[in-house]
Parts: sequence; structure tokens; C-alpha cells
Amino acid sequence: MPCPGYVSKVKVQDRYNVVGFISSGTYGRVYKATGRNGKSGEFAIKKFKPDKEGEVIQYTGISQSACREMALCSELCHPNIIDLVEIILEDKCIFMVFEYAEHDLLQIIHHHTQPTRYPIPAPTIKSILFQLLNGLLYLHSNWVLHRDLKPANIMVTSKGEVRIGDLGLARLFYKPLHQLFSGDKVVVTIWYRAPELLLGSRHYTPAVDLWAVGCIFAELLSLRPIFKGEEAKMDSKKTVPFQRNQMQKIVEILGMPTKEQWPGLVHQPEYSQLQSLPYTARDASNVRGLETWYWTILKSSNYPMEPPSAYPGQQGFDLLSRLLEYDPTKRLTAREALQHPYFSANGEKVSANCFDGMVVQYPHRRVSKDDNDIRTTSLPGTKRGGLPDDSLVGRPTKRLKEG
Amino acid sequence: MAANYWASTQRRHWQFTKDALLDIRQKLEDEDRALVQQYPLPDRRVQSHFFNQQLVKLGRRMTIRQQALATAQVFIRRFYTKVEIRRTNPYLVMATALYLACKMEECPQHIRVVVSEARSIWSEFIVSDISKLGECEFFMISEMNSQLIVHHPYRSLVELQSTLNMAQEEVSLAWSIINDHYLTDLPLLYPPHVVAVTAIFLAMVLKPTQAGLHAASNAAATLSNVSQAIKGVEPSQLNDIGATTPQGKVQSLVKWLGESEIDIKAVVDCSQEIISLYDIWDQGNEKTCREQIARYVKARGLDK
Repeated sequence: MPCPGYVSKVKVQDRYNVVGFISSGTYGRVYKATGRNGKSGEFAIKKFKPDKEGEVIQYTGISQSACREMALCSELCHPNIIDLVEIILEDKCIFMVFEYAEHDLLQIIHHHTQPTRYPIPAPTIKSILFQLLNGLLYLHSNWVLHRDLKPANIMVTSKGEVRIGDLGLARLFYKPLHQLFSGDKVVVTIWYRAPELLLGSRHYTPAVDLWAVGCIFAELLSLRPIFKGEEAKMDSKKTVPFQRNQMQKIVEILGMPTKEQWPGLVHQPEYSQLQSLPYTARDASNVRGLETWYWTILKSSNYPMEPPSAYPGQQGFDLLSRLLEYDPTKRLTAREALQHPYFSANGEKVSANCFDGMVVQYPHRRVSKDDNDIRTTSLPGTKRGGLPDDSLVGRPTKRLKEG
Repeated sequence: MAANYWASTQRRHWQFTKDALLDIRQKLEDEDRALVQQYPLPDRRVQSHFFNQQLVKLGRRMTIRQQALATAQVFIRRFYTKVEIRRTNPYLVMATALYLACKMEECPQHIRVVVSEARSIWSEFIVSDISKLGECEFFMISEMNSQLIVHHPYRSLVELQSTLNMAQEEVSLAWSIINDHYLTDLPLLYPPHVVAVTAIFLAMVLKPTQAGLHAASNAAATLSNVSQAIKGVEPSQLNDIGATTPQGKVQSLVKWLGESEIDIKAVVDCSQEIISLYDIWDQGNEKTCREQIARYVKARGLDK
């Protein structure tokens, strides 16, 4: 009697009507869908790339990052974290079905630069930041590091609720048996990468996510990435390069970090690289400083002073500078950031709807109707072989039990 | 949630009462009555011993961390509450559970390594085609509803060792008791902290002078006495038990237990389960188990 293969009990096409294609990434593609057979609502279905052996799609083992994302999303439940509806494993593919969010921060920022530049309303920024930190506090108090916060990964529903999405790089950091190494090849989009990671730190702490929040805050204010460095690519030997240009961009605004402000600096593996940055005493006097940067932006945004509670002002600068703090041990935690006076100015509550009082309406997410065949399996650039995403170097193999 | 047991999928979906677990398994067997009758298998506890032994063998070849082995054991136990064992190739299920557990516990192993190591010890039951294991992974994840984060008692043990002023040898003994509890249904019945407290209690009361708890038959007897003694006592009465032992540490443990919110009844229950585990240890039913599994796997072509 032949052994029957795995057949999913649930079929994507029985439950959802695929409306069209939203976006693609290294992981696979995202589609917009509506429910069918009595299921109502809109959904975003993330389809992981299947692996191919030649032309035939084969089971080659699920990547570690997909496993993490599936597992973490199944546990997480918070109003500021994207809601997982279900996971369907069908036809050698993984489909993660999420609630649909109409917007994301990248798209919102983009809307404010096209065709002409006009600032995001101050109360909107405040609400977005508050909700983002609230979601992050939930992740961190559950020992989850996001590790890839950036505008494109932060969703906003049509009701103005912020949802942190894409936990593809997230992982747990409590495991006391095991140190967190930067074994993963790609971690955090370079513009949002914390200085300790740029300087080769092997320890991830929640502070890396708070740096990214600082960068996002700055970007919401200025509508441009604050530290827009050029990524140094990995060489043929696959050694991780020092991100010189990215570090340079940070130093240009914040100034060169010193031992006094960051005692751990000298212990960073790439400390010597930092000293070799093209940075002279003359440059030092040219460093604009975050404060100058901030007030210049605020001035050009021409924010109305009414209502006074929303105007970012001095408190906004203080919060930003504490998020973009070089020393990760001094950087604000999510909890501390939420208690910052920026959010409690004049005793007013931050709205849970970031679109509260807004006149402008953001356009809907672009959905390409040309591609609504979620079953198409011939995707370009699918990886071959069954290597897990994470490199296997540097992990401890010490055994804790003999047999 | 991920680090919070109380909000976790483990508590919400994978913790059962004994009766509920019995029911679930009965239903599974009832759905496959003919199959179950055609291919008899030994007692579930004997099966557990056999699987544990086999899994450890595979883990040893790849120097897998204990925590990943523990997660694999929980995966296997969860999986078999959803799928009748006679519909599966247990060797493939074990290899798959270990492969998946290694990813979840941040010590990933390449699928080819897992398949080739599994083949070297279970050559009759594992084919070289890695897609079989990949397919089984889909099956397992699907049956477990992608709920792959497992909370283990090790964490509570680590957290409690200084609070309870445990000596290193006591910690090691408690650690191995925790290792052993994966051979029972306890991971499906009690929260991890209850198991940890049970292991600590047994380890401290026992004075871990005997090497290898399960090897010493008198250990089980001692455990029985302890559990007899604490059976049915009110937390306040536990003080008396502590007082009868010379160790001040045990006394303070008992006091701590009494003051904590921990379900004493559950701890007693857990202790008994562990004791009965040691009772049936090494009964040598391994050969029968191996043959009975081989019989249905071969007959049904589950090894192909």
C-alpha cells in the first residue's frame, strides 16, 4: 500500500479570493484577498517562496526564519502587532494569512513627498510613535526582538491603528542557555541599524529596536531617512564588511562617539575602523549636531503651534536624542520612551487613531490585479538547496546532558 | 505569549486534563479501530521509553542540546494526540521533530545531516530523499497549528536555584529529573513550573548522593515515601514534613512551597507520575516495541 503524501485539510482557494498582488521580498510574495464561503473581511496573504530542485518544486525543509515567524506570530496578540489569522501549509508552500492593513509608513511618507513635500501632521506623528512604542513594549516584555523595524514594516489600518508587521527576523532573546550571536547574515535594514551593530557587537539587545524607532521618528519629521548610508556588500569570502558609509552618515549628524559618552565603545570589535573614518578636527567643527538638524527640520515643516500639545518642540527633540543615543545601555527602553513628556504634554491623551482630525486621506494600497494567481509556483529567483537562512557558524554546541 | 506561559499557546491549546487526554486518544483509536486491532502496540509508556531511547541516540550523533531534544519530545507527543501512530512512520516523525526542534531552539541542523544521521541508525526506515522529511515537517507543523514555542521547566529551575539555595548536585539531579519527565505525559498535563518544582522537591528531599536516579531502585522507594507523606496534606502541614528531615534547606523549601501559589496537589501528582516512571524503567520491552512498529510500518509501506 503506497504511503499517501501530505495533503492540507484546508485549502487557500476554498477560503479566500485572491484580489491581486501587493509586494514581494526575499521571503516570497504578498497578496491581497477577501474571505469566501462565509468568511468576511480583507486579508493579506504572505506566500513563502517554495524551493525548487530543477523545475520541480520539492520539500527541502522550511527556513529557520519562516519557522520563527510562524511560531512567533501564532503566540503574539496585541493591538499594535499585525494579527495572524491562520497559516495554511498547502502544495509545498506556506501561506500566512494576516489581517489586511490599508497603509504602511513607507507609503504614508511617500505620499507626503509627492508631488510636493508637505509635513505629516504633528498629532499623527505622535500617535504613530506612541502606538509603535506600545507594540514594541509588548514584544520586548515578551522577550521578542523585532530586529527589522523600518517604515515599510509598520502597517497602519484604515482606522489609524498602527500594527508592527514582518516578524521574519524576530527572535526570542531570553534563552539563558544560549547567547544571541549575530549569526544571521542580514539583520536590520542598514539605514535603521544601531551603531553597536555597525561596530560589530555580537549581542543583540532590545536597544537595537529603539534606535530604529529613533530613525523612524526622524524620518516621519523630515520625510527622508536620517542616516541614508550606502550598504557595503559582502565580499566573495562572505566576511561581513564594516558599514563604513552608514557609520559616516551617523557621525556626520551626531558627531563622533566618545569613550566618555559611551564607555563600552572601546570594546566594540570594529572600534579601530571607527577611528579610520575620514573625520578630521575640521569635520568635527562642521558636525551639525542633532539639535541643529532637528530645529531646521521643524522650521521647514512649519508646524502650527495649535494645538500646542501636538507640536513636537523641545520635548520632541529630547525624546529623539534619547532614542538616537550612542550607548545602547543609556538609550531609552520602550517603557521609558512611552513615559516621555513628549507624549503627555498638557495632560492630553495621545489618540489611538493616528488619523484623528486629519483632512487628507491617504490613497489605498496599490494592488496589482494582473497577478492574482496565488498558485503560480514559478517565481523568479527561488533559492536552491535546503540551507537554512541562518549561518551555522558561531553557535555553541556544548551539550547539557550526556544521553 | 512567547515568554509568558500564562498567555501561551502551550497553556491554551496543549495542556490537558488526564481525562481529556484519555478521551482524545480513545477517539483517535476509535476512528481507526481495524488498524489498531490489526497492529497491536505495547503500552504507551513502553513506547515512550523506546522513542526516547531512539531520539537520544539520534541526538547524540549530532550533539544536540538537551533543550532541543526536549522540544522534539514535546512535538512528538503533541503530534500523536492528533494523529494515530499507525498512520505514521515513527522514525521519520522522530527525525522530523528533531530537525524542527533544532530550528526552534536556535541550533539549526541541515536537513541533509538529519536525514543521513537518521539513516545511519534507522536504515530500514528512512529513505535518502530529503523531501520525505520536508513533507513530514509540513504534516507536523500543520497538525500542531504552527504552535511551535515550547516552555520548558529548565527555565524555572535556573530561576529558582538561588532562591532555594540549591547545591550544584541538587540542581543536576533536578535537571535530570526534568529530562526524564519527557518520557511521560507530564508535559501535556502540567505547566512547566509545576514540573520544575516537582523536580526540585524530589532532588532536594532525596539528597542526590546516588548517581543516576533511575538506576537506583531504592530511589523510587524513597520517592514513594515522600509522595505518600505529602499526599493529601494541606500546605500548612507540609511544615511538619520539613521538620522531620534534618536539612534546613528542605525545611525552607517546604515553607516556600507553602507560601507560593503553586498547586501542591499538582506537585504531588507529578511526583507520583515520575516515581511510576522509574518503576517501569528497564523492563526490557524494547525488542517487542521495535518489532511491532516495524511490522506495521513495513506492511503499510510507511517507510517508502
